[in-house]
Amino acid sequence: MGNVMIINASPRAPKSNSKEYAKLFAQYCQLQTEYCEVKKSNHLELCHMMAGFSDVLFVFPLYADSIPVTLLNFLKTLEANLPQTKPTISVMINCGFIEPQQNDTAVAMLQLFCRKNGFPFGSAFKIGSGEAILTTPFRIFLKAKMKKFSTSIQNRKYGTFQVTMPISKRMFIAASSSYWENYGKKHGISKEEMSTMQIE
Amino acid sequence: MKLVLSDRNLDVFQEHHPTFDFIDLSKLQISNCVGCFGCWTKTPGKCVIRDDAVNVYPRIAASDRIMYVSKLQYGGYDTVMKTMLERSIPVQQAFIRLLHGETHHIQRNVVPKEAVIIGYGNTSSEEKQIFRHLVERNAKNMCFERYQVKFVAENEVEQAVRNEVAVWET
Ligand SMILES: Cc1cc2nc3c(=O)[nH]c(=O)nc-3n(C[C@H](O)[C@H](O)[C@H](O)COP(=O)(O)O)c2cc1C
Repeated sequence: MGNVMIINASPRAPKSNSKEYAKLFAQYCQLQTEYCEVKKSNHLELCHMMAGFSDVLFVFPLYADSIPVTLLNFLKTLEANLPQTKPTISVMINCGFIEPQQNDTAVAMLQLFCRKNGFPFGSAFKIGSGEAILTTPFRIFLKAKMKKFSTSIQNRKYGTFQVTMPISKRMFIAASSSYWENYGKKHGISKEEMSTMQIE
Repeated sequence: MKLVLSDRNLDVFQEHHPTFDFIDLSKLQISNCVGCFGCWTKTPGKCVIRDDAVNVYPRIAASDRIMYVSKLQYGGYDTVMKTMLERSIPVQQAFIRLLHGETHHIQRNVVPKEAVIIGYGNTSSEEKQIFRHLVERNAKNMCFERYQVKFVAENEVEQAVRNEVAVWET
């Protein structure tokens, strides 16, 4: 039986969507899991822990079309402190936009990292509309795919999975506008203020 | 405005090029984006972290020609440049539009630009391919009308930037 080290590399890990995705993964995965978050001061500790796991799952958001600096910096430390035995690395990436394929570059970067450093690459799960899908009825689609993704890691039958809200792009734009409008309202900021064209 | 945004110092920055604005990010204090969305929902257009990044993203937005000079890592920008790119999201609104059939954010006052991206380091052909895809994606979110990607070795960066500056000065 394998075990999975889940590493949340969101810059806002304690309050992130990635944390919720990681929780769901742990719920569906029948292997033993351990959840960790990347912090500025725990890189080495996480690198040392890795040898004790058959699988590592990186969970993170798409930032500026690629991996967030939090993960980039961790990977650089990992490259310099490779574990004796190399777990299989899988990724679960969520992006704000509706198209899950916007995460493809980030997947390719992790695959490259793995090839370069001798880690087997496992499964990839690309989540579109990741900022909002969990709070909508469409979370059932997310959960169904999450089950498949976690089973793939459990059975070592690795593959690529993706999910997003099954609505048109126009509907997504309308729904996201009200999502952000409400977000602003909580801070006392109107839609007009949020739409300012001014920078600084 | 023509802007050269670099992750390292270059001699050309010390010379007289009146139409250019040079920024050496390695000399600035820029911490990483914490994903709070304050720049969209609390103080729209302004990052809540008041470090040197707040003097950089308005200049990125105002430039019509921009050169990014960055070391590459795993097929993407290395830490210094990537940190600044992440801190640049105040130039966009939270609101989304369709662009070339894909969802992307509405830009605030961002001048459409011509970009040259100079990626340097010991870059494999696989890394180059990933980086080209990344810049193709960046183009949509960073308002590039046209762009070129160039790969050079670390000791060729100075010359590569000089060549581009000369082209833009003519
Ligand atoms: C600095 C920054 C850059 C982002 N860049 C992108 C992007 O390029 N494409 C995208 O679809 N979403 C982008 N997003 C949205 C996040 O991926 C999205 O909000 C995600 O749900 C955050 O996940 P987390 O809570 O796990 O950190 C960006 C968010 C931030 C703060």
